[in-house]
Amino acid sequence: MFELTRDIYDYRELIWALAMKELRVRYKRSVLGFVWALLNPLLMMIVLTLVFGTIMRFSIDHYAIFLLSMLLPWTFFTQALTYSVESVVGNADLLKKVHIAKVVFPVAAVVSNIVNFLLSLIPLALLVLVLRFPLHWTWIYLPVPMLGLFLFTLGTSLFLAAINVFFRDISHIIQIILSAWFYFSPIIYSLDFIPAKHRWLFKLNPMLYVLNGFRLSIYYGLLPQLTSVAMSLACGVAAVLIGYGVFRRYQESFVFYV
Amino acid sequence: MSRQPAAASSSVISFVDVVQRFRVIQERPDTLREAFARFHRRRISYHDFDAVKHVSFDVEHGSTLGLIGRNGSGKSTILKIIAGVYRPSSGQVTVRGTVAPLIELGAGFHHELTGRENILINGLLLGLTRRDILEREQSIIDFAEIGEFIDSPVKQYSSGMYMRLAFAVATEVDPDILLIDEILAVGDAGFREKCDQRIRSFRERGKTMIMVSHDMEMVSKLCDRVLLINKGELLEDGRPEYVIARYKDLVEHPSSVPVAQQG
Repeated sequence: MFELTRDIYDYRELIWALAMKELRVRYKRSVLGFVWALLNPLLMMIVLTLVFGTIMRFSIDHYAIFLLSMLLPWTFFTQALTYSVESVVGNADLLKKVHIAKVVFPVAAVVSNIVNFLLSLIPLALLVLVLRFPLHWTWIYLPVPMLGLFLFTLGTSLFLAAINVFFRDISHIIQIILSAWFYFSPIIYSLDFIPAKHRWLFKLNPMLYVLNGFRLSIYYGLLPQLTSVAMSLACGVAAVLIGYGVFRRYQESFVFYV
Repeated sequence: MSRQPAAASSSVISFVDVVQRFRVIQERPDTLREAFARFHRRRISYHDFDAVKHVSFDVEHGSTLGLIGRNGSGKSTILKIIAGVYRPSSGQVTVRGTVAPLIELGAGFHHELTGRENILINGLLLGLTRRDILEREQSIIDFAEIGEFIDSPVKQYSSGMYMRLAFAVATEVDPDILLIDEILAVGDAGFREKCDQRIRSFRERGKTMIMVSHDMEMVSKLCDRVLLINKGELLEDGRPEYVIARYKDLVEHPSSVPVAQQG
């Protein structure tokens, strides 16, 4: 953990430059460029609002906000993983030529998606205002669940980036796992919908704790209990410890397998 | 491997009995399916290959060392061990000071990004800080003769412009030790002259250089000392004229290598 922090600090300029490069390349060929980072989530939100606000009506009030409060962090999670799983393999050329800390590649992939995620909160806030949904003061509490989410994503990213070097199937399997994980997490529904006797199973899902704070502060306007905050941060720290542990264990052999 | 800051000691690079072993897997389990299949068959299908075999040498501060040998002899592997890309399988490597590789120019370039954006990323990859790079940006652009194209994506560059920019970035880094892998065939005669000049000024400033080349004229012109590598072994170590003559022998009469020294 200490080593990881030091590497990230030492290479902060390179990580930032690589993250910006990723964003630039992503939006380079489009006329609107960076505007897509805002427009894309906005359009998605408008579609969801129309679908759930007029066509499929749910018993949940303002379902679109309810959904988006967790869907946006979830989308960040899946996109960060999709980018970082390929990050070491995709930079094979560089790994074979210069000596740099290999963590910079998955970290840069996560950072570029953090930027994208933070930008997507702007259209969400706009939507909240347009729908005349209250913009709860608890929004200012968002950095706390974000910390848990970012740590959890970083740990998972490091783990996947490392094992994908040895088993390239991971980048395919991960998409299936993520879609199963999506339905297993209470994103489109609430945990209350699950019969009490099965609920323990859903409580084994770390994503439940990681995402919980987002819905509470954006949709309900509540602060989570201390235990819930602790759980979210614990999941994040555990993921980083495991992910970085695996990454560090195998990073010296990456160059022979990429 | 130990990496230490530049010191007054005269030897900046030291290899002691270094072996670099590669595991050559015939059917590498690139996929889980193959890994499972192999697990069932319990057959291990690889052999070990030593690209560098028990090589020992020291490089004096401020000297220019040439590595010559036929293709696949392990020259570039030695360069990559010095650069820290490979961790040797056994033996001891000590490198004092900062190392910048001029290995295959433009490896870190991204085609969609502009020349200026690539200067930043490549410079950071080579260990410069953002501030260093911004300070040197103009002299890089001038040296590479890129002019107004600096803000166009590098995919629109001619291959000459591309190589010139890569060379300019790598040599602006100003490391203690510069590694050069067969790259000086860059650009037209005029630019080559500039490159030669830059290499010479490097030497005058007391920097250490290690170069891999097949251009014997250049090796004898630039190097103080040459190592002849054959099949991963250090065959000769000495004055350029002498080692180059041995190399020419080797290329013309491969069988003339003493049996005891063959791998």
